[in-house]
Amino acid sequence: MDKKISVKRRGTNLFRDSWIWKLAWKDAKKHFDRLFLFIVSVSVGIGALVAINSFNFNLKNDIDRQAKELLAADLVIYSNQPFDTLFMTMLDTFEREKGKSARMASMAIFPKDNKTRLVQLVALEGGYPFYGSVETVPRNSLEKLKSGQGALVDETLALQLEVEIGDSVKTGSLTLPIIGLVSSIPGSAGIMSSLSPSVYIPYAFLDSTNLIQYGSRVNYRLYFKSGKGESAEELFSPIKKTTKSLGYGNETVDDRKERVGSALDNMYRFFQLLGFIALILGCIGVASSVHIYVQEKIPSVAVLRCMGATGWQSFWIFFIQASGIGAIGSIIGVLLGNLVQFAIPYVLQDFIPIELNLSFSPRASFTGLGIGLIISLLFAALPLIRVKYVSPLAVLRTSAAELMKSPLFQKILFALILIFPWAFAVYQTGELIFGTAFYAIMLITVAALAAVSYLLIRLIRKNFPRNWSFVWRQGLANLFRPNNQTSVLTIVIGLGAFMIVTLSLIQNSLLSQLEFSGDKSRSNLILVDIQDYQKDELLAYVQKNKYPVNQMVPVVTIRIDSINGKSSDEIRKDTTDEIPNWALTMEYRVTYRDSLIDSEEIVEGNYINEFKPGDDSLFVSVSERMLKRIDAKIGDEVVWDVQGVPVKSYIGSVRKVDWQRFQTNFTVLFPRGIFEDAPQFYVLLTRAEDKLESSQIQKDIVKAFPNVSVLDLSMILRNVDDILSKVSFVIRFMALFSVVTGLIVLAGAVTNGKFVRLKENVLLRTLGASKNQIVQISLVEYAYLGLLSGITGSILALGASFALSIYFFEMVFVPDILSMLVIWGSIAALCVLIGWLNTRGIFDRSPLEVLRRDV
Amino acid sequence: MTEILEVKDLSKTYQTGGQSLTVLNSINFEIKKGDTMSIVGPSGSGKTTLLGLCAGLDTPSTGSVSLAGIKLNDLSEDDRAYVRNQHVGFVFQNFQLLPTLSALENVSIPLELRGEKNTEARATELLSRVGLEERLHHYPNQLSGGEQQRVAIARAFMANPDILFADEPTGNLDEETAALITDLLFNLNKEIGTTLVMVTHNITLANFTNRILQLKGGDLVSDKLKKA
Repeated sequence: MDKKISVKRRGTNLFRDSWIWKLAWKDAKKHFDRLFLFIVSVSVGIGALVAINSFNFNLKNDIDRQAKELLAADLVIYSNQPFDTLFMTMLDTFEREKGKSARMASMAIFPKDNKTRLVQLVALEGGYPFYGSVETVPRNSLEKLKSGQGALVDETLALQLEVEIGDSVKTGSLTLPIIGLVSSIPGSAGIMSSLSPSVYIPYAFLDSTNLIQYGSRVNYRLYFKSGKGESAEELFSPIKKTTKSLGYGNETVDDRKERVGSALDNMYRFFQLLGFIALILGCIGVASSVHIYVQEKIPSVAVLRCMGATGWQSFWIFFIQASGIGAIGSIIGVLLGNLVQFAIPYVLQDFIPIELNLSFSPRASFTGLGIGLIISLLFAALPLIRVKYVSPLAVLRTSAAELMKSPLFQKILFALILIFPWAFAVYQTGELIFGTAFYAIMLITVAALAAVSYLLIRLIRKNFPRNWSFVWRQGLANLFRPNNQTSVLTIVIGLGAFMIVTLSLIQNSLLSQLEFSGDKSRSNLILVDIQDYQKDELLAYVQKNKYPVNQMVPVVTIRIDSINGKSSDEIRKDTTDEIPNWALTMEYRVTYRDSLIDSEEIVEGNYINEFKPGDDSLFVSVSERMLKRIDAKIGDEVVWDVQGVPVKSYIGSVRKVDWQRFQTNFTVLFPRGIFEDAPQFYVLLTRAEDKLESSQIQKDIVKAFPNVSVLDLSMILRNVDDILSKVSFVIRFMALFSVVTGLIVLAGAVTNGKFVRLKENVLLRTLGASKNQIVQISLVEYAYLGLLSGITGSILALGASFALSIYFFEMVFVPDILSMLVIWGSIAALCVLIGWLNTRGIFDRSPLEVLRRDV
Repeated sequence: MTEILEVKDLSKTYQTGGQSLTVLNSINFEIKKGDTMSIVGPSGSGKTTLLGLCAGLDTPSTGSVSLAGIKLNDLSEDDRAYVRNQHVGFVFQNFQLLPTLSALENVSIPLELRGEKNTEARATELLSRVGLEERLHHYPNQLSGGEQQRVAIARAFMANPDILFADEPTGNLDEETAALITDLLFNLNKEIGTTLVMVTHNITLANFTNRILQLKGGDLVSDKLKKA
């Protein structure tokens, strides 16, 4: 009978084998509790991702809109000189909506009470502002202004000087009736110019003021609105060459957005990080729940294999379950994400300073759905593949080895699992380098955690404390005994701890950055034009009234005389250089001091803080922007025209200046010892607690020091405060969401350990272990796991957040060790708590019941 | 009668810690269709290993196993699974029911695996035959040990197997239930005409079979045929 007969078995077809589907359903129905973590992991992970991405998309739209409002046009061309006549003629044929303005500092006189005030005179014409809402009293005041009916004044100015609609305002030779008050107007540019009170007049009347004389500092602007579907670049393209050749500056919404925001950029990046973390936590939850699930299913799979089920058939049963659960989890996640996103304004309306236009984001929802399915299948497949290789012999011997695995299949699966988080990170951040960096950090963390767990197991084995009490030995031995969960739980808990601590540290650094520029001690009043002889008297006034002196800064006005021996006139005529003409003609306001302030840092060279008599060379520090503008480098010679006196200097250092800070920042910084005797004025930064106090200071100052102007920053600070509050709130809220996701997945992973330890603990109990002993063994084991994984994850998080802060968010890293310790302690406590809860099931049932069920 | 199972020079060696451990050593026997046979021997004599090899649950180190005329050695695991589904039934000491399926669903599996429809009537009939008509929709954890083994027997006969392998089928049961299960197993075996290969420590149970193979230290030490 020794014949070889080939077996012609019916090819299995997943879609024709209805019993596979039936069995998958029946099995899942009975073991839904074991799959609960799976569904929760996918739901919460995807929920967080969808909420974060939807919110991100919507917020980005809001902020994009705000950026447009800030510029109030798609393109602005500016110059300190009147625009070239030929250029203006050329623009007549440029068929786009246009507007123009001229801004200059001027004294305004209010004839009613003969009050005078330094104001920013703004002459307007055309459709500008194209974006954003103008808030005036009465409403149509701006239209009336443009039609030449009178002038508008800022509401704060009117309040300050007690002028009303119907009064007059005189600027230069022009007197106009005040036809309205401006509460807010989009398109305000630059803190110094936009925050001083403004008087608006029709552009056509500008010449009638007779204010524009030789040397007047006037900022001319042309505004353009894009055609339908036209980008700012496309809009600018036809006039770009001429604009550049004439030395005019230009700005688009994107430029403005860039200027508005490192803080906003950081917020987006933070959200991208949150999205990535939420998803990875979901993946951990999926893999960990399926891993334990498969462990439990091996005996059943062995029975099926005995009865003739193929490896693939067995695999499909559980893969179908994973797909179904993944789909359900993803749908719940999408709904949850949208719910949370929509709930934000309703739940916390009072805390949100601006109106958020939240709407259903199909992109975020469908991406979430797709990614939910991918992670469910991919991360379930790796543990599930064991099912395919379960030996039928396991029905006879539980120790039966698994069948020979297919290395290729596993390699492909493993490669996909490695690639997916990387691809997702790149997609989520939209940047290859940052996405790869996120991914690399995560990979390093997993490898480090795996190494720690390996070393831990080895160390404990080698140095096992045999003289410890039974409970402590048993708890410790659980870490390395067969079927231990040390590696899995160290990675899961450690990664959870890593992510939660990283989030917390990054959040802390972000918030401290925001709080620094938005705290209560921030200046909101700038007193300018303080003469040398007035300095002491004014300081005495400020100190007497207990107003803070946040800064007292000397200012010297200078121009560029020559660069590297080439005069500014020669450079202007030279068409080959890159230096814009306006940079050569403008008047620079500079300061001198012997130290740097916290909004600046040296990025190149050394800051020489003092010029001593007899020194050969004078070294100045320029901002990065200035260095680029004058196309210079360290060591280049620049001769400055200091009110007629040439001062030769060399560029000794380059500073990175945070222009967003409400401080007196300067493009050129001189050392102490050169300008002390030069003609100069001072700027004083102080703070008024409210509008009334501000008004009082202004009245007092104008009365005592008529030439000193007081600029009230409160208007713009209110706007910025609004934005900062919003950002701060959003960061805290969204981070909380991801932290909660992490905790759920973490709790789930530890809870899964229950099923592994249950039978063992019941056996101990059968053998006479007391309830306390069993509880203590569990607590000790989970305490070891929680403490070791938590500290490993936390230390790794410290390194990762440092790197992320410096290289990704480009901000100062502010480690909050206390929070880190609290999180570490909480994770260990959570593990212990779950370990304790895990033991509860043991005492709810008789040992016989558990043993019979599990035999 | 034709041979349903043919074992030739069958050996199984495990490598443990760099050392070889031979648990079965050159076993030869064959069994004819419809016959009943016990494999007895002390613990560690290789009984379960022999059963696993004969049923195609494992592969031999040397020698061959032919089941229903099909040489198992050359088959892949999935092909062996197919052979088991078509020709083999199992009864285990620990019952090995799927905990998430009811009695009826557990019994239906072998035919469901074959892709057959309407398996419920046959499963119900078999469960009634083993006295569990009132327990069709109960789950394994709602059944006693004896009841679980009766479900396992019904499942074993569900696909009308050519050969039934039983591993200590009464090992986990009390004397009274064990007698009941033994009767059931042998009656059904006779009724359906299935070949029975049983591993047991229990000589009384072994005596129910026509033939007794005795193993010791991996060697076949006796092969006794009972007189009809």
